[in-house]
Amino acid sequence: MSESLFDSTQLGSTPDSSDSPDAERQGHGPGIHPVGADGRDPVEANVLYADHITIRFGGLVAVNDVSFAIPPKSVVSLIGPNGAGKTTFFNVLTGLYEATEGAVYLDGKDVTAIKPHKRAAMGMARTFQNIRLFGLMTAEENVMVAMTPHLRAGVFSTIIRTPGQRREERQARETARELLEYVGIGKSEGELARSLSYGDQRRLEIARAMALRPKVLLLDEPTAGMNPQESANFNEFVYRVRDERGMSVLLIEHDMSVIMKISERITVLDRGTMIAEGTPDDIRNNQTVIEAYLGKTGTREGKRNPPTNAGEA
Amino acid sequence: MATAALVAGGTQRKAKVRLGPLVERILGYVVLALVVVWVVANVVADPDRFLGSALVGLQNGMLYALVALGYTMVYGIIELINFAHGDLFMLATIVAASLLVSVLGVGNLTATSILPLLLALVVCMAFGALVNMGSEFFAYRKLRSAPKLAPLMTAVGLSFVFRGIAQQDYINGSAQKNWPVVWGGPAIEGVFVYKLLMVLAVTLPLLIGMTYIVSRTKMGKAMRAVAQDQDGARLMGINVNGTISFTFGLGGALAGAAGVLYFLCQTQTYYDTGTQLGLIAFTAAVLGGIGNLTGAVVGGLAIGFIQALNEGGAYGLGSNWSQSVVFLILIVLMVFKPEGIFGRPTTEKV
Amino acid sequence: MAITAASGTSSSRATFDRFKWPVGYVVVILFLFFLYHSILPSLVRSVSAPVIAWLPVATINECLMWAILALGLNVVVGYAGLLDLGYVAYWALGGYTAGWLMAFPFNWEWDFHLFSPVKVTLPGTHINFWLVCIAAGVLCALLGIIIGAPTLRLRGDYLALVTLGFGEVITQFFRNSNNIAGANVANGDPGISSIDPAGTGPLGAAGIAPKLLTNSAVGNVWKILVLGLLVGICIFVSLRIREGRLGRSWLAIREDELAASMMGVPLVRTKLLAYAVGAFFGGIGGVANASLITTAVSPSGFDFGKSVLVLLMVVLGGMGNVWGVTVGAFLLSWLNSNGLKQIGVQIDSWFGTDLQATLPRYNYIILGLLLVLMMLFRREGLIPESRTRALLKTPSRTEAESLGAESLEAEAETEAIENADPEEDAKIAASAAAMAGSGAPGLDAPRREEQ
Repeated sequence: MSESLFDSTQLGSTPDSSDSPDAERQGHGPGIHPVGADGRDPVEANVLYADHITIRFGGLVAVNDVSFAIPPKSVVSLIGPNGAGKTTFFNVLTGLYEATEGAVYLDGKDVTAIKPHKRAAMGMARTFQNIRLFGLMTAEENVMVAMTPHLRAGVFSTIIRTPGQRREERQARETARELLEYVGIGKSEGELARSLSYGDQRRLEIARAMALRPKVLLLDEPTAGMNPQESANFNEFVYRVRDERGMSVLLIEHDMSVIMKISERITVLDRGTMIAEGTPDDIRNNQTVIEAYLGKTGTREGKRNPPTNAGEA
Repeated sequence: MATAALVAGGTQRKAKVRLGPLVERILGYVVLALVVVWVVANVVADPDRFLGSALVGLQNGMLYALVALGYTMVYGIIELINFAHGDLFMLATIVAASLLVSVLGVGNLTATSILPLLLALVVCMAFGALVNMGSEFFAYRKLRSAPKLAPLMTAVGLSFVFRGIAQQDYINGSAQKNWPVVWGGPAIEGVFVYKLLMVLAVTLPLLIGMTYIVSRTKMGKAMRAVAQDQDGARLMGINVNGTISFTFGLGGALAGAAGVLYFLCQTQTYYDTGTQLGLIAFTAAVLGGIGNLTGAVVGGLAIGFIQALNEGGAYGLGSNWSQSVVFLILIVLMVFKPEGIFGRPTTEKV
Repeated sequence: MAITAASGTSSSRATFDRFKWPVGYVVVILFLFFLYHSILPSLVRSVSAPVIAWLPVATINECLMWAILALGLNVVVGYAGLLDLGYVAYWALGGYTAGWLMAFPFNWEWDFHLFSPVKVTLPGTHINFWLVCIAAGVLCALLGIIIGAPTLRLRGDYLALVTLGFGEVITQFFRNSNNIAGANVANGDPGISSIDPAGTGPLGAAGIAPKLLTNSAVGNVWKILVLGLLVGICIFVSLRIREGRLGRSWLAIREDELAASMMGVPLVRTKLLAYAVGAFFGGIGGVANASLITTAVSPSGFDFGKSVLVLLMVVLGGMGNVWGVTVGAFLLSWLNSNGLKQIGVQIDSWFGTDLQATLPRYNYIILGLLLVLMMLFRREGLIPESRTRALLKTPSRTEAESLGAESLEAEAETEAIENADPEEDAKIAASAAAMAGSGAPGLDAPRREEQ
């Protein structure tokens, strides 16, 4: 594990808003847990709600009492220096890890104890930091795998190819092609996933995730390796997904230009603790965030900077 | 030696049979309690037979420990279950038999037999080491970065080759061959004292020597380093290939020694003993915690004892069922506690 | 039929591709049948004798039976990627199901005939061959689920060992079966003999075929059709399932279990189904063997070596490719039962040696060497599925991931230095680049979070 938590520096105590001394809370009532700020029950109001998640591995606290909300049809980002626990948190949301404490709610339902594949079926889809496609299957097949929860055909009807099964397969194939078109790789449907270019592979991963008909799409560093033009296209794409498909999008990202441009809200983690939450403007000027990334030695605005030892994995 | 990264499952999520850890603990204690009850019942029912079984268990257990060490060392260093290890052991029994009986003419075992015995040990250990190192060099080395399926199946193939070679001697199709070797001297409950002493006299120094090599020598340190992090060890200047070769050699030598002892204890050789004994020894290694040397010894003794009690004790199921009993242990381990007694559970990174 | 990219092929070419194998199969089976039914008997001795020597009817039937088993294991190993080394367990259970449901009674006697071609006066249970096949299939599917359940979270090598152990236990069970808590369940070591032959139903009634397919010369020839049909059914079912949702799930699991589960594939159910379907075929193979080939079933026929033999067939044929696996099964079972001897005879006639007696005895050595050599030099098999070729050449996803992308690159580099194999280098470098390429080239990226 590459968490920087072995540092002698303190693993934050619970960042209770009332006694956190110098965090600059930019205009959200009780600061770091903004959910419920408008008075509604956060479980119902949000498509994804993580309630006081703590993750401990033995004596190590990887995520410390983080609450997190994704409203419907929104774009939310999760950022933080390396080792902040973002991917760990991600993995709890999707069900890969069990939170030591806390609960996860999807669309109002408590999914904390529900296995990953069921959560996927219920509407939580993700992509991976290191692209985990089924390289030896075609692009079309990759997308169709993610339709498994929505297909009904059983073994026997598959063997004898009942009309229902045939129709279902045909529709699935059409949907797959449509999704591939949507992400811009319609021409590659018959190609093996591993022979696609890097950029196309990233798109395929998103198409595959979308095939789950998710309510929330969790993208883990989707713009890694993209040039500015591609990043701009990506921003457009995220808006389309939110507006045309009605999905919420959660991004883990390092590319500040993308984050600042498209996020409606940003949550910042540092060493497992949430240190800030708010709109891009709030975060841009937040001293705590800047210090977390750069150490206490001055700042360079907006750009992506290599962190100093304090944040290094 | 550090416990090798033992991946117990596919996902980080605790997919362990869906029971809370508390229930698991309870189940574990229940199983343990049942075993203890069974043992005690055997003692009470017929203490003499129990003593006999215990001695046989000690005897066999030491042998299993030797073979289990071979498995655990190789797994610890390159995460390969050397399927062919059991059959290597079997070949060693045949080499030992041929050498001792056909070449050296050993028949009745007396004090003068010690010299040929030592010679057989040296020869068989060298044989085991060479064959194992050869296997590594010609077969496994090339497949080190291949997906696990490849070296596994290669090992299976090699086990077949060994078996086929051994089979040539059994023309009439019977798997068993009797050798005219006879034990004499006192016996406790049917267990020859000299036999037991011989086993102990050979295995104990070997085990001590093994511990010394692994914990005190440079090579031992290299082994532990390579087991933990091959690339890191390489970057530190350790000759990884050489270390792996050495490990295979050690494991093979132990199997060779076990072969000699087994032959002398059983005075019979079987060409199909490899698979069965391999499974038993592997279970012992897993029981103790694969990758852990102490574990292999403890596991070996435990399995040896349980098997002996099963075959000789008042409440045992008999030798017909020994395989199944041992295997049941393996299954239960795999499902509930794959890291064994001394191992550390590790899981997959995402 | 591999679902490879068929870009650019015309429709007629595509149709030919799609049907060439199934049609070819049917042609071969019919040819073999007529070869022995009509052609060879009408040929002169000097021509027919060598054919019969090299490819006797009995061997053809054995090959077909082994093909059934290989196709079953192909589902488990080839499609779903679960290394099962105890496949012999299903074969055994299938055979014993035949022993229980369609044989001369060995212990208890329950007189019950159901569409059976044997004389009604015969005591004991006698059920129709095809019905017994189904029953054995179902029973074995259940056993498959029982065996599969504890192995669900085990990775490759452990899975192999546990399944191997199960194979041994089942065999030991049958060896002790004359005294399971006092009851004679399956007659122990001697096994069950006098298993019913299959009947030919309408064909037999019409006089075209013999009524019962016993070990007679003419019976054996007609067995080709029965076995050929069974193999054809297995192939058909395999292909159909593969092209559907379950097949995709299996392939996904084989490649990357974790990603598959995150994409909604239920791991437990999918794996158990793989075991069940594979075991079903094994059961059918067991019945076919017991009724048509050996007319008996005994524990001595089932050992670990047979499991490995079937595995070798799957590997040789190209894991995941039903046609390759069928060919692999034919080749290896021929070699094992007749080929080695014939080759020995041939070499003897050329060189005056006495290999015909000894060569068959080297079968374990030869098969073992074959497996080793295949793993070293041609892992993808003779007629690989395009996917398998790539799958077996590069490290599996989960292993690479658990080391992190950097380690994979280091691994690729070291391998490149140690083995100057340019072709291999290129492949590995390409895949390493593809997989590790997510390490943000072009941006001065900080060390990636390795969680």
